[in-house]
Amino acid sequence: MSETHTDPTVARSTPPVAPGGPAGRRQAPPFLTAAMRVFDLSLSQMLWSKRTIFLGLLVGSPLALGILFRVLEMIGLAGGVKIDGAAISGPTVFGGMIWLLYLRFIVPVLGIFYGTALIADEVDDKTITYLFVRPIPRSAVLVGKYLAYLVTTVFVVLPSVVILYLLVVPLGHGALAESFPALVKDLGLLGLGLAAYGALFAFIGAFFKYPLVTGLVFAFGWEQIALVLPGYLRRLTLAYYLQSLVPHAMPQDGLGTALQALFRDVPPPLVSVACLFGCIAVFLALAGRVVERKEYVLEQ
Amino acid sequence: MTAKTRYFLFGSVLVLTVGLSIGLVAYYGGVPGGLFAAQPGPAELKYVPADAAVVAYANVRDVMNSQIRQRLRQFEGMTDEGRSEFKDKTGIDIEQDIDHVVACMGAKVAEAERSGLVVARGRFDQSRLEALAVENGAKAESYKGKRLLTAVADKEHVATAAHGASMAIAFVGPGVVAMGSADMVRQAIDRAEGSSSVLTNQDMMKLVGEMNDASMWAVGKFDALRAEAKLPTEVSERIPAITWFSASGHVNGGMQATVKAETKDEAAANNLRDIIRGFTALAKMQAGSSPGIQKMLPDIQLGGDGKVVAVSFAVTTEMLDAMVAAKGAAGAIKKSLPTGTEKQ
Repeated sequence: MSETHTDPTVARSTPPVAPGGPAGRRQAPPFLTAAMRVFDLSLSQMLWSKRTIFLGLLVGSPLALGILFRVLEMIGLAGGVKIDGAAISGPTVFGGMIWLLYLRFIVPVLGIFYGTALIADEVDDKTITYLFVRPIPRSAVLVGKYLAYLVTTVFVVLPSVVILYLLVVPLGHGALAESFPALVKDLGLLGLGLAAYGALFAFIGAFFKYPLVTGLVFAFGWEQIALVLPGYLRRLTLAYYLQSLVPHAMPQDGLGTALQALFRDVPPPLVSVACLFGCIAVFLALAGRVVERKEYVLEQ
Repeated sequence: MTAKTRYFLFGSVLVLTVGLSIGLVAYYGGVPGGLFAAQPGPAELKYVPADAAVVAYANVRDVMNSQIRQRLRQFEGMTDEGRSEFKDKTGIDIEQDIDHVVACMGAKVAEAERSGLVVARGRFDQSRLEALAVENGAKAESYKGKRLLTAVADKEHVATAAHGASMAIAFVGPGVVAMGSADMVRQAIDRAEGSSSVLTNQDMMKLVGEMNDASMWAVGKFDALRAEAKLPTEVSERIPAITWFSASGHVNGGMQATVKAETKDEAAANNLRDIIRGFTALAKMQAGSSPGIQKMLPDIQLGGDGKVVAVSFAVTTEMLDAMVAAKGAAGAIKKSLPTGTEKQ
């Protein structure tokens, strides 16, 4: 009979066997745990990246406008905010800024620049390999990064909206109280918009070769045209559902908006919310599927 | 998550919480009207009945001295003849002696017509006005220490006229004159001594409070306007259900006007916004080919949240100049046509 001689160094280097698992192999963490771990790593990375300077500039411009309006009113220079000589009250200015600046520009742009870069940036930096060799589903990497995008943008954009509300609504003797329900709706709406556009552009970023161009064409080309045309095409845009939830009147900024308003067919709010949540789930699922199956070839 | 990230998220949550708390306190708590703030509107509101359907105000001095009035006089071809005649008879120079005017339309009572009241503040020659009134058949009397001049509106029905059909003028206070039906004027005098006025009508005063420093404004129930306008049924049925309305104008060179309507529900407000957008787009399309007409059209801004629809626009002196020029051109064309062709 031979004796088995156990080398203590070998014994120490071998990881302990997980209870109930196959001998010598660790169990992969569950999907959600993996996603939260990626979220944790990506959040700081995303928040303190150079892209956040762009986010800060984007979100800071409405605030700068609001401060300018307040200063002008305080020193009595402008006699209130006026458009073509007509005095406009604070709540109307606030509503217009939510429509024109946040909903129609800032939210889609943030979705494009952050959403398309979730996977693309890792590919460009050639660091995607290190993520995909981990024993976690690839889609968990995407979901974790998406959650990091959502937290980054929500916790920058929503406080800026609240500060803007406090700056702008009291202009022209406007009342904070009357605009408060609209503010709460705006915050929910913008959060939902960031989530929806982020999911859509995460899919575009995972699927298309030139996701930034594709995203810009979708947001500022297809959506604008589809909203103006009569018929069912507008239902293939996110803006159709988001705009139906806005509590403020659509500002008149030209013939395009007037035409949009003429052909406006507003879905019920519950339908819009359900469609937006559905879009988030579908696009995230599609993006996860693409990431799972696609082979990323890193350029040398 | 790094410490820096944690601090950032904490700061964001703090800003959100503080901002939403301020809004929540303003929405649910607020400051009761009149506790720290001055009473909105002119002091003459104390003469207006609490159930007035419509209340209006005009700062006569501002309006008379404004550039827009000068342009309108030019457009209408008005002269000072009427003003001079009025001054000769009453001693009142409309442009200088009347500071502001408050008017109201009373609540509808049974089948009777709505009665009105006008309260003017300024400088009036009481004895001269009284003499003029008596000369024209009015009766002078005292009512609760105030001088009241009463005249029956329709002399053919003097014998059968109800007491309320007579018109009256009263000097209700230093530099304050009230004019209207005799009942309304008597009630105005009663209100000055403490009975309830529109100041206790919170719905109306909320609208008045939004008027701030407007040169002229009118607020009230839309039903009263609709009834007085006597619109055809086909038009009246299609107007969205509007409960309250307010209109204000600020005169400073041109005139900036804002009209607000509060509807029964958000659906009616959305319908009203769609109607306004439609008319605006139609006007722009019609004026698109004519630069002259474009100059005369004000740029309409649509606003408002929830059940409130607000429309703002400005009437500038340039627009009035364009109207004067257009009127002049139309007159020149008319003169150049040979006689007899004008009727074709």
